[in-house]
Formats: sequence, C-alpha cells, structure tokens
Amino acid sequence: MIEAEGLTKVYGDKTAVGGVSFTVQAGQVTGFLGPNGAGKSTTMRMIMGLDTPTAGTVTVNGVPFARHAAPLREIGALLDAKAVHTSRSAYNHLLAMAATHSIPRKRVHEVIDMTGLADVARKKVKGFSLGMGQRLGIAAALLGDPQTIILDEPVNGLDPEGVVWVRNLVKYLASEGRTVFLSSHLMSEMALTADHLIVIGRGRIIADAPIKDIITGKGHSRTRVRSDQPDRLMQVLAGTGVSVELQDHELLEVTGLDQRQIARSALDNQVLIYELTPLQASLEEAYMELTKDEVEYHSLITTGAPVPAQSGGN
Amino acid sequence: MSTSTSIQPAAGPGRATPKGASPGPGPSFFRVLNSEFIKFRTLLSTMILLASTAVVMVGFGALSAWGTGQFADQAASDPEAAAAIAAQGGDLAVTVPTSGVSFAQLILGSLGVLLMSSEFTTGMARSTFAAVPKRLPAFVAKLVVVVVSAFVLTAVSTYIAGLVSVPILDNFGLKLDLASSQSVKLLLVTSAYVAAVAAIGMALGTLLRNSAGGIMSLVGLFFVAPIAFQLIPGDFFEEARKYLPGNTINPLTAVEHVPDTLEVWQAALVLGAWVVVPVALAMVLLKKRDV
Repeated sequence: MIEAEGLTKVYGDKTAVGGVSFTVQAGQVTGFLGPNGAGKSTTMRMIMGLDTPTAGTVTVNGVPFARHAAPLREIGALLDAKAVHTSRSAYNHLLAMAATHSIPRKRVHEVIDMTGLADVARKKVKGFSLGMGQRLGIAAALLGDPQTIILDEPVNGLDPEGVVWVRNLVKYLASEGRTVFLSSHLMSEMALTADHLIVIGRGRIIADAPIKDIITGKGHSRTRVRSDQPDRLMQVLAGTGVSVELQDHELLEVTGLDQRQIARSALDNQVLIYELTPLQASLEEAYMELTKDEVEYHSLITTGAPVPAQSGGN
Repeated sequence: MSTSTSIQPAAGPGRATPKGASPGPGPSFFRVLNSEFIKFRTLLSTMILLASTAVVMVGFGALSAWGTGQFADQAASDPEAAAAIAAQGGDLAVTVPTSGVSFAQLILGSLGVLLMSSEFTTGMARSTFAAVPKRLPAFVAKLVVVVVSAFVLTAVSTYIAGLVSVPILDNFGLKLDLASSQSVKLLLVTSAYVAAVAAIGMALGTLLRNSAGGIMSLVGLFFVAPIAFQLIPGDFFEEARKYLPGNTINPLTAVEHVPDTLEVWQAALVLGAWVVVPVALAMVLLKKRDV
C-alpha cells in the first residue's frame, strides 16, 4: 500500500506537485493518469526517495521508502526506460542490482526469461530498442519479487504483443495481492488495465475513483437510435432530463434514458426502430472532461485571436 | 463461500490475498561493495582506461630508462652533466619506474570522474539509489573501488616498469634496485598519490554530475593551475602554488627536502585536505540533492 499525505514538490517558483493525498491499495491495479507535466513522474520519484518532497510525506507499507531494510524486496520500480548505464549488458546490469540485496543469479535469469530478454541479455543496452529498454526496466523492477510495483509509462515503445504482455502481467501481479501503481497517458490502455484510477492535473488530484465510476460517472449514458420516423420518435421520447439530438436524417442520439425505456416507448407508439446501441463514454472523453482546465500545455492556435486595436485614428 | 476467513491461512488462488515483502537481506555495505565492483568490472571503457594506464606507465618507464642511460653516458665525458647528476643526489635510476605518473594520474583521475558522472548522465543513478536509498553506502563503496583499483594498478604498473627498466639501465652501467627502501617508498607514495587524485576525480564527478565538466576541472586543477600560478606575478601565487594538489608529489617523494617546497608532513596534510574536503562536500550534497 502506498500512502501519500499532502505531498508537495516545488522547483523554484514552479509547483510540480501541489499537496496531493492518495492511497494506492494492494490487490488491484491503480492507474495514474494525467497530461504531460502534471506531476506523475515527480510523484513516483518522491515515492522512491529519489526526490525529497518540499512538504508532506509518502510511505510504502507504512514506512518511508528509504527506511525499509531491504528496499528492492519491498518495492520495485520502472521510473525511466533507461535508468541503466548503456555500455553495460542487461545481464550485468541486473547482476549488479541483485548484488546489493544478495539476490541469487537464479532470480536474475528468471526475470530475464520472464521479460523475454534471454536473446539479448548479454548485449550492451546501448543497442536496445525502446521496447527492449522497457522490458529491462520491468525485469529490474521485478528482481526483488517486491510487494509493491511502480511502473512509469510501461507500455511506451512496446509493440502490440508487448502491450498485451504488460497488461496481463500487471493484472496477474495484482491478483497475487501486490500493490501495482502504473502511470500512462494512454487512456485506452488504462481502461483495459486499471481497476482504480487516480487522475492528476497541474500537480493536483482531479479524480480518485474506481475506473467504472469515472467512465459512467458524468451521466454519460447515451444511446444511438435509428428509426424510419425520427421526428415522431423525438416527440415520443421528449421529457425532463432527456435530450434527443438528430444527428443524421434517420439517426438520433438519446441521453437520459436507458435502452429498455426507449424500446418500450417506441413499441407503445408503433414507431419502428432498427438500431439501439448503448454508447459508453470512453475514458478518453471522461478524461478530457476532467482535465480540460488542468492541461498545462495547450496547443496554441494563433489565428482568430483578437488583436487589441492600437491605431488611435478613429 | 465461507464467511470467516480468519482461521484459514492465506492461500489458494483467491484474489487480492495480501502479499508481504519477500524475505531476504537488504543492502549491507559488503553487498553494495560487491555491486559496485560488478559495475566497475563490467564496463569496457573502464578496462580500456586501466589498460592504457598500465601501458603508459610501463612505456614511459622504459623510455625514461633509455633517456637516463644516454644522459649518464654523456656525463662520463662531460663534467657539467656529471655535476647535474651529483646535484640530484647521484641516483638517477630510482625515479625511472614512476616517470609516467603524471599521465597515470590524469587517466585514473578521469576514471574517477567518469565512474560517478556516468551514473547521472546515463540515468543509472536512479537504479543505484533506488537499490541503496541511503545513498552514502553506495558512494563510499564506489570510492573504495576507485581508490583501491587506482592504488593497485599504479603499484603494479610501477613495478612492471621497474622490471622492464632494470636491463635497459644495466646496458648503460646504471643499477636499479627495486627492493631498495627508496624504490619501495617511491612505489607506495606514488600509488597513494594517484589513488588520492582518483578520489578527487570521483568527488568532482559527484559534485558536477557531468563528465566533460568533471574532467576539465581535474585537468584545470592539476595541469593548468600550476602553470597559471607560475605565470601570474606576485608573491601570493608563488606561495599558493606549493599548495596545489599536483605539487605535493615532489616533496612527498624527494630524498631530501628541496628548498622552497613543502615539508613532507605539510605536503601529506595538504594532499589529504584536497581529498577530504571535496569528498565530504560530495557526500553531503549527494545525500541532499534529488537524483
């Protein structure tokens, strides 16, 4: 379990993380989602004791990371794909890491096999693709068979097969009762992988809830309906809290009624409908909704900006 | 489905069975030292630097043996050269094995810089200090590896340079006794001096976290400053020059005290301070700064 309490990191006059508090529970995959520069990596570095918080505390299983007697056996982290001296081979990198905790060579071979690095383990990391680097980082995180696993953007640069592998791996690790904390900017990936989601924007927690609640949370229950008589159907369905929008000449989007209610009304009023598709808000939409005010780097569109008039003529 | 699970041990394929940390030892100093040694020996660049130091030391030893022999030959027919030899204490041969030391200190000092700065430039530091979050054990372990390897390599290279030089000097009728107390003293003091330079290099690498900056600072301190201090007029710089770390080696290895240089004990203290101050500063800042 990871517990952060008022965790703050200030660089000069810039607040990277502004007093966040959250708990990452064991036995489930917790996603950490936020736009670039939101403070995800900084938060993760503070958990690992690499950055000292300006204020607040963060503990792993009740103890600050640096005070654990055997840190690698407690918590494993992939913070950066290449937190490795690239002139060393993957095997020697893992061997040196393992030596600090007297982790046997057998375990080094195990994590190499587990991450599919067996063929390249003796080669210099310099020649690794981004995906290989990610696999090495995950191997290093698993080395101490830790209870808590932190992965910063683990699927970056992985091929589709690797993405599926990471997805299954983190779910399996969580099912073993481990604490899994995973950041990503790939919202679709989060929707498939995470059980719980912590959304961060501009250094603040915007949402902290089970992923189901975040997707369905905002009254986004929408249905796509096709009918020969869209005008008639619109009249029939109209009511308080219901909005019906004509999208195409036979296509409606209905918000505020479930599929059964729509079908019942259509049947009662003898209106033929030939499509009834529930539309779930994608995590993407929910996320955009949540973070629309929190994005630090908006794409700037230069046209159309009103220029203040400077000519004093008229 | 049982409602009381407290009696049963946590087992079976149930979801979210709490898993504790795996039992096993943590990072003791000996283990961290072992890890740093693995890191040291698994970098090709490190091995190349060590090998080139040995080659330079032995090569310069041999070259110097030949040059010294030539010089002694001339002295036999030239009273001026003979006087020059006499002024140096009469024993030219004894310093031959350590004649490559100024290059050895540059290479091994740079190695000291690189071993720490590369941790930061490659990102390896994040792995290192995640495994050893107290940080200082990893620093001290690396320092031990750097200092011991610099000392051993310089001592071994000096000895081999001596072995190569003996027959060359013999050709010119000069004798070199590698077991003489002055030979042994030169070997040990020179090796300790190079180890000190490597430690200063590592401290610079830790403070600057940058390979080029660290090596340039080292070169500045050992090669540029002595010359610059000589060129700048004024008594202050002439006096200060004696206290530069690179100028402590001569008083430390001299047979007799040379006028206008530090006493042996002073030179040892000055060199010690040049090691202790940057190393202590590096340790304090390494502990405090974000990785």
